[in-house]
Amino acid sequence: MEADVKKAIYDYIVGTWLSGDGRGLDDDTDLHQLGVLDSFSTLSLISFLEGTFKIQIEPSEINAESLKSVGAIAGLVQQKRAQSPA
Amino acid sequence: MRIDRLVRPWAERTPDQLAVDGADEALTYAALDALANRFANLLRAIGLAPGERVGVHLPRSGRAIAAMLGTSRAGGVYVPLDPSSPPSRIQLIAKDCGLRHVVISPALMAAWNAAGVSAPIEHFILSAPGGPAEVPAPAVLYDWGRVQSSSPAAPPPVGDSPDELAYLLYTSGSTGVPKGVMISHRNALAFVDWAADQIALAAADRVASVAPFHFDLSVFDIWSSLSRGSTIVIVDEATVLSGRKMLDRIHDKAITVWYSVPTALVLMLDTGGLPERGAPSLRVVFFAGEVFPMKHLRRSMEAIKQARFFNLFGPTETNVCTAYELPGLPAADATAIPIGHASCGDVATVVDPDGRPVPDGEIGELFIEGPTVMLGYWNGGQRTPAPHPYPTGDLVSRRSDGELMYHGRRDHLVKIHGFRVELGEVEAALTAHSGIKAAVAFAVEQQLVAVAVPVDASVTVLDVKRHCAGKLPRYMIPGDVRLVAALPQTSSGKADRVRTKAAVIAGDTAVLQPVRPPA
Repeated sequence: MEADVKKAIYDYIVGTWLSGDGRGLDDDTDLHQLGVLDSFSTLSLISFLEGTFKIQIEPSEINAESLKSVGAIAGLVQQKRAQSPA
Repeated sequence: MRIDRLVRPWAERTPDQLAVDGADEALTYAALDALANRFANLLRAIGLAPGERVGVHLPRSGRAIAAMLGTSRAGGVYVPLDPSSPPSRIQLIAKDCGLRHVVISPALMAAWNAAGVSAPIEHFILSAPGGPAEVPAPAVLYDWGRVQSSSPAAPPPVGDSPDELAYLLYTSGSTGVPKGVMISHRNALAFVDWAADQIALAAADRVASVAPFHFDLSVFDIWSSLSRGSTIVIVDEATVLSGRKMLDRIHDKAITVWYSVPTALVLMLDTGGLPERGAPSLRVVFFAGEVFPMKHLRRSMEAIKQARFFNLFGPTETNVCTAYELPGLPAADATAIPIGHASCGDVATVVDPDGRPVPDGEIGELFIEGPTVMLGYWNGGQRTPAPHPYPTGDLVSRRSDGELMYHGRRDHLVKIHGFRVELGEVEAALTAHSGIKAAVAFAVEQQLVAVAVPVDASVTVLDVKRHCAGKLPRYMIPGDVRLVAALPQTSSGKADRVRTKAAVIAGDTAVLQPVRPPA
């Protein structure tokens, strides 16, 4: 299941932010260094995560660390799912 | 009158009234007045000369406002620096305007040290406790304790003329170097007073600060509010990410006046529950920076029925130069609303390419003459004066009722969520990448698109994005990057932006052949 979460996040980022070219993107790639996380892209990422994984992310949980990489985002999703089993 | 004189009368009359209600700190008029004096006295003590520039590199906060006011009281010119810009771009700005002094937050100071750039900055002043203990020599760090131990008494006034420079706002420049727009005290106050008068702004008002301080919308939030003894309510960077939290802030803080790009209102409509919850405290909504889609404008006005809505218009070079107050809900079949008529004492003319006025109904370029027109561009200290009247680059027509309608730009400037982007600056950043031979950039709806020709197939979109992030502020980084074998060319052999854009929209892979990654 963890692999599915990561795959979905990876596919979203490659599709939305990398114009379909996933070369070089791995679990630890620093997404801030890509400069992709502005307020608008953060917002669409959050609504993607909330919609896809049926979770509710609080603004206080949105920060540089929690959205740093594919791995960190997957960790946030797992944690939210553990808190509120569907 | 000068902007540095606006706060003192309120500090005397209503010292305990909140001047700034920040996310983590509130400052009364007395506290703002004293903190501004501390910054002013420290700046003087470390050698600020009259007319010298001071960078203000802080998140939106009462301390940032105190640093701007303090700079002004010390006789300096403040330069708001975008906290989300990479140090390399900040350094371009610092070099352009010869910044020797910067007031900076501890977190941003740590980022500067990590990036290892400081020249030409000689003095860093920390806005809060903590942060690095030193900076690379020969620069000198003054910590928060040094600010606190400076005198809170007013320094002797410097400068009397309203035509001296008050601040510089850096905007995107077509040659790849940001341009510093020079605004005098008179320029700023022409708008600040006009806007406050339009809505009878008063001490009881609570004015939202949503726009970044390097963006000209913030001039109203800060200076109109302080000129009338009102309270500035900071809607901080984290809150602006969430429509729900933004609307919560309006409700919780009983905000009465709101000024933002339309995007922020749409966010509250779509994700914040604005249609159901309303915003009963709001009495005025100003919007500017981009075209408000009619459907969303109608929804906003229906949700905030009691408020007056104004469309404000103008490039940074003229601040706000035209305005339109909506007389009521636009008709359901209306396709656009006017940008209005000349405001702030300005005169607007619509002219043809030869500079002759065009008849009503015909499209021409908007020329502005009057007190809001900037002094000029700083331009590395060469100070290119503004032409008079000022050609805005905006295409407009005048209706028979005198109201102006907007028809787009005549050059390569685009707006992404209200921010100005010169496509040439984006293209210059792209072609500075060693693996990119040629590139064009353009906007499709609200997305910045770059089409680039790599030297070989090993160049990745990730590489290009990372490279751009090191050179450009976030809003200028292309969202969509296409790597292609070649770009269409104009008859003169230049990359053809128009045909490239058409091919992207049409999905024409014959014109734009994707570069295949090595198998």
